[in-house]
Amino acid sequence: MEIAYFLGCIMPNRYPGIEKATRILFDALDIELKDMEGASCCPAPGVFGSFDEETWATIAARNLTLAEDMGADIMTECNGCFGSLFEANHMLKEDEDKRAKINDNLSEIGREFKGTTNVKHLAQILRDDVGYEKLASLIEKPLDLNVAVHYGCHFLKPTEEIGIEDQAENPAILDDLVEITGAKSVDYKDKMMCCGAGGGLRARDLDVTASYTKEKLDHMSEAGVDAIIDVCPFCHMQFDQGQTEVNERYGTDFAIPVFHLAQLYGLAMGLSAEQLTLDAQKIDAAPALAKALGENAK
Amino acid sequence: MSIIKRLRSLFVGEEDKEERSTVGKKSVGIGVTSSKLDNAIVSGTKTTVMISGVVEKRPIKNSIEEKLPVIEEDKHSTDEEIPKAESENFDAEENQEEDSLDMIVDDQPSKDEEDVIEEESLDIEENSSSDEEDNNTVDELDSTEKVDSKIKNDKKRDNMTLLTDKELLTDANRDSEFTAEFIDAGIETVKHCFQCGTCGGGCPSGRRTPYKVRQIVRKCLLGLKEEVITDDALWMCTTCYTCQERCPRSVKIVEIIKKARNVAAHAGYMAKPHKMTGVFVINTGHAVPINDAAKSLRSKIGLSEVPATTHADEKALEEVQKLCKITAFDELIGYDEATGGLKE
Repeated sequence: MEIAYFLGCIMPNRYPGIEKATRILFDALDIELKDMEGASCCPAPGVFGSFDEETWATIAARNLTLAEDMGADIMTECNGCFGSLFEANHMLKEDEDKRAKINDNLSEIGREFKGTTNVKHLAQILRDDVGYEKLASLIEKPLDLNVAVHYGCHFLKPTEEIGIEDQAENPAILDDLVEITGAKSVDYKDKMMCCGAGGGLRARDLDVTASYTKEKLDHMSEAGVDAIIDVCPFCHMQFDQGQTEVNERYGTDFAIPVFHLAQLYGLAMGLSAEQLTLDAQKIDAAPALAKALGENAK
Repeated sequence: MSIIKRLRSLFVGEEDKEERSTVGKKSVGIGVTSSKLDNAIVSGTKTTVMISGVVEKRPIKNSIEEKLPVIEEDKHSTDEEIPKAESENFDAEENQEEDSLDMIVDDQPSKDEEDVIEEESLDIEENSSSDEEDNNTVDELDSTEKVDSKIKNDKKRDNMTLLTDKELLTDANRDSEFTAEFIDAGIETVKHCFQCGTCGGGCPSGRRTPYKVRQIVRKCLLGLKEEVITDDALWMCTTCYTCQERCPRSVKIVEIIKKARNVAAHAGYMAKPHKMTGVFVINTGHAVPINDAAKSLRSKIGLSEVPATTHADEKALEEVQKLCKITAFDELIGYDEATGGLKE
């Protein structure tokens, strides 16, 4: 199996440990991740989608054509990229007028959107194409962790179009994937709430974004979790860097480390904190790691 | 921040009149600074000072409705007066309320108004006693809030409506082309909204910002273009889709918001940080470009120093730049090719 691996921006350019973990995981799964050479930003839905739909769709379509040329489906592990690419792909497959318009633009650079690729999320591939059993066989170090799963917004919604889960407000996919690693997904209040970063809000008004994040962190703390698990580097950044911004603004002392699902699997497969670039994140992961691996160290 | 301005102007304006019309009358809360006000617009607490001011200065024969225009007029004369008001720092006096009460009674012998005054006096007494409980802990700031909300409350109650003349909208405010933009973009469901408010009920932004999603949807349908696109609150949505998931009429709410933002952006309403995101994409192909720290991290863990994206492919970057030109995105955000930044 081959997959066109869409990197996006924040993962490769801020949290490369997520990329590293993903490459190692897919090696182990015997799935080839093929680089989408020359891919760009998805583009950022909050700004491009909000400013000019045509530009947004055109740049997204260019990325889609790269995968079409490779004859492969796209995988992304960023909800923002997933939302952008999935939505653009869906729109251009459905709407002939828009497709004609976008192809007009693409023809200027010698490209054409054909509608022959599908956009998939990492978690979706792990559940549907890999399967839980196979994943379970990879786990070397079951993790003793209580975690708050954060789904984010553009992974499952809008449900009607994406269809990964029937009920985006009561999903199971990430909780299931997390628990395969031995970690326990702890329920918490308003679990499905947004991290606050999306829609261009983080760039526009950091205070409002921090207020969202604080609400999430309050609820996660009340549930007593050791770590936050996400499937989106933007949410990841918001919980990591944003956590320090919350602490600055509210005088709080939140210190919940943040793992992308791929990093969690990396840990369970025995990768080090350095390989996962957890040591470069703002929130110290060491206490959680000590707990996670404590029993196995005996 | 227009709410703050308005509250402040209402207050300062009133205060000013009060000073002019009553000798030796002390006022509470006039020393509030604007920065304090900034944090203090939401409280629903009440006080009596301001309302007594309103009542006493009212030269009105009968109708309370006339209070409204009086208050509105004050708005115009306020800005210059703010510094003056701020410079006069009066100490709040606890007995203030009682004084005011006396003055009302003294100054208002007219029979026509007695009912009204009595009614308000009742309120005043109630509030006075509750104020006394708080006693010295009530600072000037609180007084301001109380004053303002009291005025508002009375306005609403007395007029039996939430609208002032200024807020009335007519067909002249409507722009049918604006509505058509949504329909043309395939968002016909904007017409299906029956304003139940499920969207706002679940909206995480609405519980911390002035973003009212139900209202925006309505305004888009009515064609109230200027109202929609000039409102900063339009940008307080994180596009989390909670509203859209729960909408009993399957209205594509997030699409509506994004479309409204498109119209706003093309009318020039764009925040600089957002434009800068566009600049980064035009310059590098990435909204969040690589930096030295990330390069060294990547090398350290055995990844290519730079990802195999537009970062590593000049021709690919040129494609992206060309597309941004074709769609005139560069012009939209004011991209300056010469400097690689924004024109302003």
